[in-house]
Amino acid sequence: MTTLRIGMISFAHGHAFAYFHALRRMPGIEISGIADPERGRVQSLTDEFGIRYFADYEQLLALGLDAVVICSENALHAEHAIAAARSGAHVLCEKPLGITPEQMDAMILACRDQSVQLMTAFPCRYLPAVREAKRLIDQGEIGDIVAIKGTNRGTFPGGWFVRPELSGGGALLDHTVHVMDLMHWITGAKADTVYAYAANLFQPGLDVDDAGMLHVRFDSGAIGVIDTSWSRQAPFPTWGDVTMEITGTRGSLFVDALAQKNEVYSRSADQGRWDYWGDDMDTHMIQAFIDAIRSGKPVPISGEDGRRAALVALTGYRSIEAGRAIPLIEA
Amino acid sequence: MKVAVLGCGGLGHVHARIYAGMEEVSLTAVCDIDAGRADRLAEELGVAAYADFRDMLEEAEFDVISIAVPSWLHHAYAVQAARAGKHVICEKPIALTAEDARDMIDVCEANGVRLFIGHVVRFFPDYVHLKQTLDNGAIGKPGVAHASRKGGHPAATHPWYADEAKSGGVIVDLMIHDLDFLRWSFGEVARVYGMVRNEELLEYALVTLEFESGAVANVEAYWGYPGQFQTKAELAGSGGIVQTSSLDSSSVRVHRRESASENGPFVAIPGSPSFHSPYELELKHFIACIRGEAEPAVTAQDALRALEIALAAKQSSQTGHPVQLAPAAQGYHGGDHR
Repeated sequence: MTTLRIGMISFAHGHAFAYFHALRRMPGIEISGIADPERGRVQSLTDEFGIRYFADYEQLLALGLDAVVICSENALHAEHAIAAARSGAHVLCEKPLGITPEQMDAMILACRDQSVQLMTAFPCRYLPAVREAKRLIDQGEIGDIVAIKGTNRGTFPGGWFVRPELSGGGALLDHTVHVMDLMHWITGAKADTVYAYAANLFQPGLDVDDAGMLHVRFDSGAIGVIDTSWSRQAPFPTWGDVTMEITGTRGSLFVDALAQKNEVYSRSADQGRWDYWGDDMDTHMIQAFIDAIRSGKPVPISGEDGRRAALVALTGYRSIEAGRAIPLIEA
Repeated sequence: MKVAVLGCGGLGHVHARIYAGMEEVSLTAVCDIDAGRADRLAEELGVAAYADFRDMLEEAEFDVISIAVPSWLHHAYAVQAARAGKHVICEKPIALTAEDARDMIDVCEANGVRLFIGHVVRFFPDYVHLKQTLDNGAIGKPGVAHASRKGGHPAATHPWYADEAKSGGVIVDLMIHDLDFLRWSFGEVARVYGMVRNEELLEYALVTLEFESGAVANVEAYWGYPGQFQTKAELAGSGGIVQTSSLDSSSVRVHRRESASENGPFVAIPGSPSFHSPYELELKHFIACIRGEAEPAVTAQDALRALEIALAAKQSSQTGHPVQLAPAAQGYHGGDHR
């Protein structure tokens, strides 16, 4: 097995740490370097694991890497992905893929032109409950899908996530895309109409929304809604959730993807805690990316998949401006 | 105080048995167009049976009528009873159109009788707790709420439910409980967006309520759910979260095999017993209001507003556009919700 040389561009998004450790434990992988304008963010990793640090991502790319993992601020995904593609590296990019349709088109095009693969990081596809739900639905267990009510509630992330010039949006963008991708994947249908509501309801005085409700209608006739709110905060016993109430013509299927938890009540903490013990989605997603580029097969979650999910969220913002349901932008 | 019950179906039985067990009132008569059904219930409770409401109005002695007939008949019977000077306690939804609902309110007022609508969720202790937790400040300002209600399709046993002209459909019949609860909790609703899917013995609705405060709620209602009837709700605010789920609060759970075979199918029956059912609390409260001993916890105006929200959700699901509600302060006139 040849060793794959992987670089990581930016740890702005905290998921980078999970991806790093997944890569580090994987055989046949060399983490050739980490580029991050903020050295302090990654110094503990580069020191502990003896990994080269680059302030400038171009210098990292100049190493001639096989692939890069991008976890920069949403607004910088396109710049980083396009540069990586031009260096000949395959790309795994954190969600949302981009913050404008044009950016995402350019990313997809650059990767295609350079014959490198672009994968969108939607780790929720690697939750065992989600895969089992898809398997059951594919074998017709609940008939044709009529509706999906999803939630992807989370904790207030702060930092650049609430600076619109870097994040491109608030909770509606941040938390539409995961479950939207699952809805696309599970239904095999395309979202074609979107209605959304978003507001600043939990943390005072934000420049972005921290609460959102997004309705979607699919070309199959199925309907859906996603609660995208950052409504979880201490002392709620966990960070958030991924749930789907899936209604079919012959039955109903509920996915509570993080239900594999034990409840911890410790006198050393002032709140109860839910500890998830299920399979680690990040490891399985990274493995799937590595397997695809090693074997030359298509990555399991394409740039197009990432674009489609992000377009729903971006359409949601347009719907809020318009005050009505609108067709998917650039469908 | 004397009470009669109109309609001897499931809820009519519930009402009649509760009145029969109450010390404050005496149940004098029950009525159902199915004479056999009325006779059986009357015999059980030792009261008079009628097959025709006009006969009961003329012959039986009562001050209060409890109406538990199919929704499309609420208006006609409530108005008839009010004109005969009877106080009216009527199951939800108040009526199937806002015009009928307003007429019921007007006729009751004109005839000096009270009108109460059975929004029983206001008497469910789990939902009362949600509301109290919000009101005592434990979860801060209202943010995002969810409510869900799912069960079998009632048309499987009572075909009139499948006829929207008679039942109003899943939003007007079932979701209206949560629409009233959420308005009670989060205040007036400014805008409504709804989606509905209708299939054979399946009606499913997803409705988003945008409140005047800026808070938002998503409400799910499902007829045709192949499982135990269940409800759940969550209120998330700036200072915390309160959640309830009927399944999680099943305090008695029975599991039994349907056949003697070791591996045969089994049934699971979760239960959540209380010493006083929410229906009992509700009817006792309405009677206390009529006797002048209590202020109504839910008014006919509340029921009208819940119906208006439900109708707006239906309209939205038909047009694909959100529906703006007229501010409640401006009154309840005008049928146009845009």
